[in-house]
Amino acid sequence: MVQTDAYVMLSMVLFILGAMGVLLRRNAILVFMSVELMLNAANLALVAFARQWGSSDGHLFVFFVITVAAAEVAVGLALIVAIFRTKRSINIDELNQLEG
Amino acid sequence: MTTEFWLFVIVGVVAVVSAVMMLLSENAVHSALFLIVVMGCIAFLFLMLNAPFLAMVQIAVYAGAIMVLFLFVIMLLGAERLGGKTPFRWMTPGAMVLALLFLVVVGLGLGAGPIAEFSPPPPNPQVRVAHFAAEAGAVDLRVSGVVIEEGLEFGDAVGYLSFPAGDYEFALVDPETEAVVIAQNVTLEPGFVGTAIAYAEGDQPLLAIVPESLEATDERSGRLTVFNAYGDALAVSLVDFGSEFDPNDTQVIIGDIALGTASETAEFAEGTDLRTWAFIEAGNENNVLVRLNNEEVFRVRRGESTLVVLGQEPRLAGVSRAVALPLVAPAAPSFGSPADVGKLLFSRYMLPMQAVAILLLVAMVGAIVLTHRPKPSAALVRARMGRRRVSRPLTSVIAAQVGQEVTGPGSRPELPEPADEAAGN
Repeated sequence: MVQTDAYVMLSMVLFILGAMGVLLRRNAILVFMSVELMLNAANLALVAFARQWGSSDGHLFVFFVITVAAAEVAVGLALIVAIFRTKRSINIDELNQLEG
Repeated sequence: MTTEFWLFVIVGVVAVVSAVMMLLSENAVHSALFLIVVMGCIAFLFLMLNAPFLAMVQIAVYAGAIMVLFLFVIMLLGAERLGGKTPFRWMTPGAMVLALLFLVVVGLGLGAGPIAEFSPPPPNPQVRVAHFAAEAGAVDLRVSGVVIEEGLEFGDAVGYLSFPAGDYEFALVDPETEAVVIAQNVTLEPGFVGTAIAYAEGDQPLLAIVPESLEATDERSGRLTVFNAYGDALAVSLVDFGSEFDPNDTQVIIGDIALGTASETAEFAEGTDLRTWAFIEAGNENNVLVRLNNEEVFRVRRGESTLVVLGQEPRLAGVSRAVALPLVAPAAPSFGSPADVGKLLFSRYMLPMQAVAILLLVAMVGAIVLTHRPKPSAALVRARMGRRRVSRPLTSVIAAQVGQEVTGPGSRPELPEPADEAAGN
């Protein structure tokens, strides 16, 4: 059985990669994908700890995270489409004013 | 190092490399495809972590639905190469430093002590009580002086009771005379699951504690344990007589169970035919005590732990007969299976599930509202339509005044190239 530490380590590395994607990439869709990567890394840690504790509650949390991520992606991509329509760009550095 | 560890290393490296490629690739479609690889790797790791249900959800929802949505939007916007350079040059080293700091902090946390040393506290002990003491009649069950159940008849059982770990006195008391039939001190360890069975050896009522297991059974099988409370001090066996019911051709399922003891626990496939099984006096096929031929009562169902108690039921005028009664308890579903997750989802996590369902509904409506392009106003539509309608009559009016066809004979006015569509979106 692979130690829980190894899974937590891997999930941490993936989380950091996702965080760097959010900070460094300028394409809003890629920023979104990096957020998904961070959520996945957190899910991996949750499942690893669920096995460690022998309790299924961690699985339930992951289930909810996946559901909320699906909702978030639907709304977020709709926002990106709406922004692209008005500004003809999805570079997040150019989205610096509140008016449409 | 085991195979599993190397599998973990390979899948982990593939996941990390794919994540890095996702961040570095210029084309957003490539990034999305690399992200699908990462999600697949994580689904594989879920399988390694005993979470088959989540692995399938991960594949279906993440790698399927969500990534298709991403690819669809990338194609829709033509955003493969959008993004460009950032005006904030200092962000790259800043992000690197932040990431390294985070790595160091979490590494220190992990280095503080191995996570593997933590383990959950064992659950409270659970005990059920069954009354098979033939001579005692109806009794009250008292645990450390507290009345738990009144009027327990022969063959009745009290479902699992959960106590904090500790010492308890289990007592069966005659309700009329207050005379104690059986009293026994029992020490309940944390995590213990078992059945206390009152039975009689001759005239002497006794209490036996049978430890049980409610852990997950094998796939598609049920667990069966036999307890002998048959008071005639015989050892009994559970045998299969076969379809011919021939006493000379029997197969012993569980042999030689002495009075007051439980057999070894055995697992049988779901739907095993118990109609030809019977309890006999050990070694004597001609002395059949009781047959398990009632399909409604005796059956092996998956994920169930059954304790069959062979007792001696008192009849009128001092005559008694053997009865077998099953005490059925559902075994725990195997860890991480759909049954396990579903059971929690529809019991302890009912409210969060409802909240998430409402959230999904709101998100669905929100996505529609956000991408909804408002229709042009009615006045604008009328203006456009009106202009188009007068264009024809106007040429004919001019033609009538000039006296000849304005557009020329046979030549139709050429339509202008659709400039909007050629430019594309």
